[in-house]
Amino acid sequence: MSAVTTQALPSRQRHSPGLWTLAWRRLKRDKVGMVCLAVVGFFLLLMIASYLGIVAGNWSQEVGVSYAHPIFMAGEENIEAAQMGSGSVASNVPTADLSDIDPLAPRYREWEERTAKIQVTETPRAETLLLGGDKWGRDVLQKAIKGAETSIFVGLTAALLATIIGTFLGGLSGYLGGRVGDVLEWFYNVFTSIPYILLILSFAAVLRQGLDTIIFILACTGWTGIYRLVRSEYIKHASREYVKAAQAIGATHTRRMFVHILPNVSHVSLVQLSQHVVQFIKAEVILSFLGLGVPVDSVSWGTMLAEAQTELVIGKWWQLAAAGVSMAILVTAFSMLTDSLRDALDPKMK
Amino acid sequence: MSDMDQPLLQVRNLGIDFRLEGGTVFEAVKNISFEVPRNSTVALVGESGSGKSVSAMAVMRLLPRESAIVSPASEILFEGTNLLKLSDEGIRGIRGKEISVIFQEPMSSLNPVFTVGDQIAEILSLHMDLSRKQAWRRAEELMHEVGIPDSALRIKSFPHELSGGQQQRVMIAIAIACNPKLLIADEPTTALDVTIQKQILDLLASLQERYRMSVLFITHDLAVVGEIADHVVVMQHGEIKEQATARRIFEAPQHPYTQALLSCRPNVDERPMRLPVIADFLGPDGAARIKREQRRRGYEGDDEIVLEVSHLSKHFRLKEGIFKSRDVAAVKDASFKLARGKTLGLVGESGSGKTTVGLTLMRLHESSGGEVLFDGVDLLKLSEQDFMKYKRRIQIVFQNPYASLNPRFTVGQILMEPMTIHKLAAGNRECIDMAMALLERVGLPEESFHKYPHEFSGGQRQRIAIARCLTMKPDVLICDESVSALDVSVQAQVLNLLQDLQDEYRMSYIFISHDLAVVKYISDQVMVMSDGDVIEVANSDDIYLNPQQEYTRKLLGSIPKGWQGEKPN
Amino acid sequence: MIAYIFKRIWQMIPTLAGVVLLIFFLFNWVGGDPALVLAGKITNPEQIANIRRQLGVDEPYWYQLWVFVKQIVTFDFGRSWATNEEVSHIFLTRLGPTLTIMLPVLVLETVIGVILAIGVAYVNGTVTDRMVMMICTVAMSISLLVYIIVAQYLFGFRLGWFPVQGWSESYWRNVTTFAPLPILLAVFVGLAPALRLYRSFFLDEINHDYVRTARSKGLAEKIVMLKHVLRNALIPILTNIGIALPGIFIGSFLMETFFSIPGIGREVLVAVNRSDFPVIKAATVYLAMITMFINLLVDVMYKVVDPRVTLK
Repeated sequence: MSAVTTQALPSRQRHSPGLWTLAWRRLKRDKVGMVCLAVVGFFLLLMIASYLGIVAGNWSQEVGVSYAHPIFMAGEENIEAAQMGSGSVASNVPTADLSDIDPLAPRYREWEERTAKIQVTETPRAETLLLGGDKWGRDVLQKAIKGAETSIFVGLTAALLATIIGTFLGGLSGYLGGRVGDVLEWFYNVFTSIPYILLILSFAAVLRQGLDTIIFILACTGWTGIYRLVRSEYIKHASREYVKAAQAIGATHTRRMFVHILPNVSHVSLVQLSQHVVQFIKAEVILSFLGLGVPVDSVSWGTMLAEAQTELVIGKWWQLAAAGVSMAILVTAFSMLTDSLRDALDPKMK
Repeated sequence: MSDMDQPLLQVRNLGIDFRLEGGTVFEAVKNISFEVPRNSTVALVGESGSGKSVSAMAVMRLLPRESAIVSPASEILFEGTNLLKLSDEGIRGIRGKEISVIFQEPMSSLNPVFTVGDQIAEILSLHMDLSRKQAWRRAEELMHEVGIPDSALRIKSFPHELSGGQQQRVMIAIAIACNPKLLIADEPTTALDVTIQKQILDLLASLQERYRMSVLFITHDLAVVGEIADHVVVMQHGEIKEQATARRIFEAPQHPYTQALLSCRPNVDERPMRLPVIADFLGPDGAARIKREQRRRGYEGDDEIVLEVSHLSKHFRLKEGIFKSRDVAAVKDASFKLARGKTLGLVGESGSGKTTVGLTLMRLHESSGGEVLFDGVDLLKLSEQDFMKYKRRIQIVFQNPYASLNPRFTVGQILMEPMTIHKLAAGNRECIDMAMALLERVGLPEESFHKYPHEFSGGQRQRIAIARCLTMKPDVLICDESVSALDVSVQAQVLNLLQDLQDEYRMSYIFISHDLAVVKYISDQVMVMSDGDVIEVANSDDIYLNPQQEYTRKLLGSIPKGWQGEKPN
Repeated sequence: MIAYIFKRIWQMIPTLAGVVLLIFFLFNWVGGDPALVLAGKITNPEQIANIRRQLGVDEPYWYQLWVFVKQIVTFDFGRSWATNEEVSHIFLTRLGPTLTIMLPVLVLETVIGVILAIGVAYVNGTVTDRMVMMICTVAMSISLLVYIIVAQYLFGFRLGWFPVQGWSESYWRNVTTFAPLPILLAVFVGLAPALRLYRSFFLDEINHDYVRTARSKGLAEKIVMLKHVLRNALIPILTNIGIALPGIFIGSFLMETFFSIPGIGREVLVAVNRSDFPVIKAATVYLAMITMFINLLVDVMYKVVDPRVTLK
């Protein structure tokens, strides 16, 4: 119906600000919120740019020496790089002849030749990188950006899915009640009576590793909180007088559920979405750290931290710092944005 | 004895601002001054937003610290001491001991997790230096004194185990426990039924007498004021419009606002064609313009009956456990007729089932029995599809103007929704035209079409809700407490609008309300309900002049009479 | 009361059935052929068939489900696929270390969290309040992994205040040497979210009318907070403890993994990595049961804390 009215509007009349517009205005007045929005926006842009290959496209290339120092530590000695640099790359291949048992043996030669070719064209490895390098000499900054892409993408998509599932089921259960409500409540009870960590691990145990899997797991296990909230909102709104009035004028159930109530509870879902992005980013990092998350050939903040654990013991702290700090910045900004959003969206006018 | 001459409480140049979000400041109270003499009742009267409660809370220093700013020139002298200058500890010695307060909502004002005995004893051991045992014994006496039966038993009850009236009695027991000199009563009876209201007012009056305390009574209800107050302070928009003795206020009000407030409230003794509204008093010749012509009401023999309800009943099923459930009857065997162009008033206290009748006959609740004949068809037997045709002919206006409009729809969308659902207009252009015409009819400007509900006041929202019903040109309009949440002055305007529309469209109204005066004013016939039973149905004048049932008599006897001349003492 | 408890236990049956079905669906159906998982590189079809027969996965689904239910009822999940240790034995021996860590964590976190939250709620709206909330938000944003890695490195490796990791047979030695670092770390990490949450409970209560009544009686703000507000805030706090309580049985699997504590959490994680289905299945089903009973316990506790609750 909104489409009908807007199209028919005589153009001279100005539209009054709706609740969303007012919420946006409130948010704009909140300086902290706006700064956080900018930070989150920056990370999102970074994610898109990284996805399109504009930045961090060659994160997997070994551009520096092993454990290249960050640029501000340029003067210090790098023992590990010196050790590795002393031998040729080929010397790292085990010398024992394994061709009898190794099915790949015939191909080693071919690979070695290829490696040799690449090595010829390879630019000399850098001694220092902006934020240092990892064991293989990959640029930590680029890895952090690429890792941000993975982590944010997983968090965002999973949260979006969880919110959609939670809102839809919560709406159904809260609005319809009765038998449908009972079945959905049962479903909810089943999911929540298994401790959350175990639920995730159970899913992880039976599914193959991959980006889509981890998104699926997080969404499948994370919808319950949203369901609960949306359900209680729907119950509250279904008995509100404006919905009764809609019933009185003959609006159908579908219309009441989606056209009348949904816009009035969607702010709850939005805040939940934002909260779950944070929660899921944290979860993804842990799962990837444990090797249950992203596949081995991609990078996320979690896999970076996994590498960093061993690096720290030999004093190479920069990968840990890069992943930890960039995640902390994003998550702080996102959490504070969530708080601001909640304040801005809280409709004190009922 | 010299301090007996000075007033107990003097409020001087009190100004209170509230910091709002976005850095704006709202002037809630603008430089007001008034006094509360010893051993007397002062009523602070005003509509919502007049600053009356805020002023009273400032006396107790209970305003929220973060947002309320009391202007530095303000003085609140209690027996000569400026309360605003007292230390935190100093004011705590006053609170509950010298000045105490009772609030509007007794349920939420009592702590739900402590017994009422605990809560009364707490204040006694705090200020009266009593041992725990003594405090409990005194608490029991107090409960007896405020009229709670079985006080020895009730003292161990939790607040939720008591009725609303008893909860308010407990609040009063707490308030008088330490024999205060001043009792602030902030709308103490607004949330209560009219019969309970009477009991509480009587109780307050007798306690005031016995304890020789002063009462600062805050209310919007002038009828209550007339019964209890010695002095009246009339407030509007944070300013005092008039203050004088009750006699002067009621017999010779000076300020047009006071005059308006006094006359726009319907009263049981007369029924003007049109209720006066505030605007009537503000012009140059003021009160002179008020017409005194009276309206005749009542069903007559040749009335066409549009709606005939017989033996309507409604049970709610309460789930108790998985398999067990219990039926609770909300409406038992209600029968009545509604004549075209006439109004049937439905009165009763909370829980009487009056609202359920309205919702059930238009099938917002499923009925449990009986029939509703409309145009010769039993609405309750129709399939959902067949009922659709009839839906638009019975419409409803709800109580809460803030909840009955979808906040995400513009007024235009709200008005055009029923038109599209019932295909009442040929095209979009016609829809808009109809909506615009209706806005004009209910007295709202054309720009309202593009605005959202939050931009309107309560009265305006009720007009929008009425306009929404009018789009469907209903035969029957159910007004479910539709004016109860509105301020008196706005109430009069909306009642006038409803009357005009009835005269114009010959609609029939079912007017549901707990407010006996309003029902008397607007109804032709009145149906009295209690606990789901219909007590009495008759023409409204007959019911009010000559009630047949005991319950009706009790109900009518509880209506505040307003000013009846000086109190005898 | 007794009737209520029986009724609640009766009501658990459909939920429990749901849990069993979900787990069965995940492990016996989605999980694919466990024989392939187990057999690894073995490609000999005969061997695979043999393993399948041993595990019973060649039986029809309804029969497998029946076996699963029987396992649950008899507390006999057979042996671990990976280590051949009895599953029941695994849990009995791993429970001790987990509780040694998690009980103190829960108690300390709740007590410290509530105390700090009252303090912060008391100064609500001031600069202190905003600073503390800000610190909490930032603290919550740092990954748990970073805390553990850094703390283990700093206090264990560099400063040597605590052993880097390990566990012993002696309970006393565990409590005095191995447990402190993971406990302190878990409490420290958990404090920020707990503080934020409890603060919001207190603030919700402070806005209620009964607080105004308490003030109007002339009570000191301290008593208003510690008697009236705290007593009411206990209700949501109890709910929250009820939610956290089942967690102490699985423990912080990260702490257990990092500090080599032979607890249930680490065992489950190892099982996930090894696709050791019996262990995961048993853990999930029994913890779900424990969760349900804790929920019941919490609901009964409500009656104690909140007089408005009736157990019906």
